[in-house]
Amino acid sequence: MTARTVLKNEWRLLMADRPLKIALGLFVVLLGYALTNGVVWLRFQERTVEATTSGNVERASALRQELEAIEAGGQPSSPFADPRSPRVLGGPSGSHTAVLAPGPLTALAIGQSDLLPYYYDVNIYTNEASFHQNGEVENPLNLMVGRFDLAFAVVYLLPLLVLALSFNVLSEEREQGTLALTLSQPVSARSVVTVKLAFRALVVAAIVLGVSLLGALATGGFGSPGRILLWSVTVVAYALFWFALAAWVNALGRSSAWNATVLVGAWLVLVVVLPAAINAAAGLLHPLPSRVEMVTAQREASNDAVNRRSELLARYLEDHPEMAEGVVADEPGLGALSWAATDAVNGRLEEVAAEHDARRAEQTALVRRYRFLSPALLAQEALLDAAGTGDARFADFQSQVRAFAERWREFFVPAIMADEQMNAGVLADVPTFSLADGDSADLTRRATAPLAVLAGLLALIGAAAGVGLGRVRGAD
Amino acid sequence: MIHHIVRKEFADMIRDGRFRWSAILVGSLLLVSLAHGWVQARKASQELTAAQATAREHWETQGEKNPHSAAHYGVYAFKPRLALSFVDEGVDPFTGTSVWLEAHRQNDFLLRPAQDATAAQRIGALTAAQVLQHLVPLLIILLTFGAFASERERGTLRQLLATGVGWRELALGKALGASGALALLLVPAAVAGAAALVVASPAPTASPLARGAVLAGAYLAYFVVFLALSLAVSARARSSRTALVFLLAVWVVNGLVAPRVAVDLSKRVYATPSAFEFARTVEREMADGVEDIAPPDRDESTKRLLAEYGVERVEDLPINAVGVYLQESEEFSNRIFDRNYGALWDAFRRQGILQEALAAAAPSIAVRTLSMGLAGTDVEQHRHFAEAAETYRRDLMRQMNGDMTENSLTGDFSYAAGAELWESVPPLEYEAPPLGWVLGNRILSLAVLGAWLAGAVLLASAQVRRAEVA
Repeated sequence: MTARTVLKNEWRLLMADRPLKIALGLFVVLLGYALTNGVVWLRFQERTVEATTSGNVERASALRQELEAIEAGGQPSSPFADPRSPRVLGGPSGSHTAVLAPGPLTALAIGQSDLLPYYYDVNIYTNEASFHQNGEVENPLNLMVGRFDLAFAVVYLLPLLVLALSFNVLSEEREQGTLALTLSQPVSARSVVTVKLAFRALVVAAIVLGVSLLGALATGGFGSPGRILLWSVTVVAYALFWFALAAWVNALGRSSAWNATVLVGAWLVLVVVLPAAINAAAGLLHPLPSRVEMVTAQREASNDAVNRRSELLARYLEDHPEMAEGVVADEPGLGALSWAATDAVNGRLEEVAAEHDARRAEQTALVRRYRFLSPALLAQEALLDAAGTGDARFADFQSQVRAFAERWREFFVPAIMADEQMNAGVLADVPTFSLADGDSADLTRRATAPLAVLAGLLALIGAAAGVGLGRVRGAD
Repeated sequence: MIHHIVRKEFADMIRDGRFRWSAILVGSLLLVSLAHGWVQARKASQELTAAQATAREHWETQGEKNPHSAAHYGVYAFKPRLALSFVDEGVDPFTGTSVWLEAHRQNDFLLRPAQDATAAQRIGALTAAQVLQHLVPLLIILLTFGAFASERERGTLRQLLATGVGWRELALGKALGASGALALLLVPAAVAGAAALVVASPAPTASPLARGAVLAGAYLAYFVVFLALSLAVSARARSSRTALVFLLAVWVVNGLVAPRVAVDLSKRVYATPSAFEFARTVEREMADGVEDIAPPDRDESTKRLLAEYGVERVEDLPINAVGVYLQESEEFSNRIFDRNYGALWDAFRRQGILQEALAAAAPSIAVRTLSMGLAGTDVEQHRHFAEAAETYRRDLMRQMNGDMTENSLTGDFSYAAGAELWESVPPLEYEAPPLGWVLGNRILSLAVLGAWLAGAVLLASAQVRRAEVA
């Protein structure tokens, strides 16, 4: 009896097993549904990204027109929104929206993209407080429950399918009395189980990777082959982990019912209970610093700066320039005075934020260590990273925006301090944001640890299963 | 007779190692999550109270300035925690905790705790509510899937019935036996929870015990649904294995699949705008007005004042025309905000209602909704606070602009008010909605859970009556 015979036999059995065919069909339908959800979300984000890009172009061209009209002898539309002033050209009305394009495989994993902001309006007033934004408009209830995307289906439902396909791979033969007959052929239990599970793994992988690749194909994800590879490797490793677990449990030689109970229990503990327990333990041992204290610190920083600023009038004019028609619109040095205060607040905010971020980074590093306890958490992180919707990509985007805001200030602030006027000629030199999307080396580096641990678990359990199956005799 | 059955079932269960270990696991997770929630809630509550006090102090000690400058300076409001939030944190990690109340703008609530956490926290937060909604039903299934099916497989069902005990008694006895075993873990948790509320409430709330009692009732009903379903399936199933597989499938759909599908469906049916569109719409309407809401005209406003006071020149007005105009723009922008935020909140509410209706397919959605409602951590109660904060903002702005109007003249930028005015503004005192309000919002979930309860019990009695002996 060869592997081919077993395979052929397995295929016939699968085709004859109605409940199994229904389960597989249902899984395909669920995956398809998950994929459409992801695609709808991706399109939604793409429309926003497009709108921000065209907003940038519109703002720039409106400013250009107005500047050119003024140079041709016209008047600014309002003396307080004179685009020649660097505080206007580099301020909110001239701001540039820095945007993070959706992750290349967003259609496969919505991840954090419904929670974290993916665009910021950058101008000279951008500071640490500007990063306190809500991101996309979303019902908090929906954020709490989460979405039905492919990543969810892989992390939660794929193991259940794997277990349904393999919990009785050996015990059934024993219960039907065919095990002795099979093992009377020149094959070992180990090779029979391996071939049977390999066949099932091929079916499962073909389905999941087929739907994933279809999703990537439909949404242009093929531009990032590295990400697709990481996604596929994670899916396969995670599925194999569950197959190996099933093989090991089968090797213990108990009944199919016992196998089913133990494997479902393992699923519950590894996928449902452990992630929750890990999160709770991490939260207790390493509580996140509160942002609430930051609000107070910010407020005090600005109060302090404001108190050091001179004159009620200057403050009032800044709040309401339009109320001060003809009063002191062109008072020399006002820009510099005001910028000094802004700069002082920014400096203090940076200190407060740096302190908070340091504590948060420490907490996150500790919490992330615990994920090695749960293959579900490992798989989730690797899948989101592959999709470009994990925490890392958003953090990287934020630091790029921070650097961009710095460049923006470097461009405009000297003119503010010198009370210079700007003209249409400078528009071409105004900085624009272009995302340097994390290179694949970075992605590989981040994915190495979770994948290595997953592979290690797989090897360990696979070895245990191999040893156990080696002991199985047909006549027991 | 029945007490013999109850005693036997109860003794069987607590002697069964599998039950003992799963019960210890679930019980300790429940107690740990309650303790964790309580500690977090108290810490958060203390922080928020302190921050609110500091915000008030900032407001009162802002120094002398024009009232409208003070309006721009504004004040921060922090969303208070309610006592029962330690049982169910609900949507709180996904709503902001603080809002800046300033002139001209209704700001969003910022600082969502979930934004600071990692993605891992989104696939499993351990709260008492999660344990009660997901793990306890699982324990019920493990306890009872074999109630009839295993006895039938072993042939003891026939013996039992030969003693003259009726099906109904048998079923009731098994249900009570399992309940007794579950009570061993749920009663201490409930007592601990109630004690935590009474002895050292993590946050001050009106009538926490009444809310807590209804909350306990809702969970009890949910557990009975699972108990009855499990007994019904066990009575009907050909083998205990079939019963277990079917019940686990129900559990996965109920807790994992259905809630997410409900979210996606509700989003498709009641779409919300993107943050970008929303901001753009508000900006456009603030600039140009919309429909019958027109931006105030400053010249018109001045003309009307001149006519009202019978004077020729703005300088002769006994009041500050700018203050009047500022308040008019405030009223205008309020209508724009009401229109846009109102539509957004209403879309959220419709999404929530659709999900509540889909609880007809998964009771976990109904109990989740009731649990968050009673804990004070649902979207409706977030909106309740957001609206209270916005009302406070509008009163504050009216007071500031009014003071400027009355106490300074048009064009007079030197007028400055002081601590007396700031202190005359009452602090934001938020009162959480009463229990009746919460339940009134949640009639649909109450009805769906009630229907599940009635349906499951009827199904169980029908299946038990028709069950086969062997």
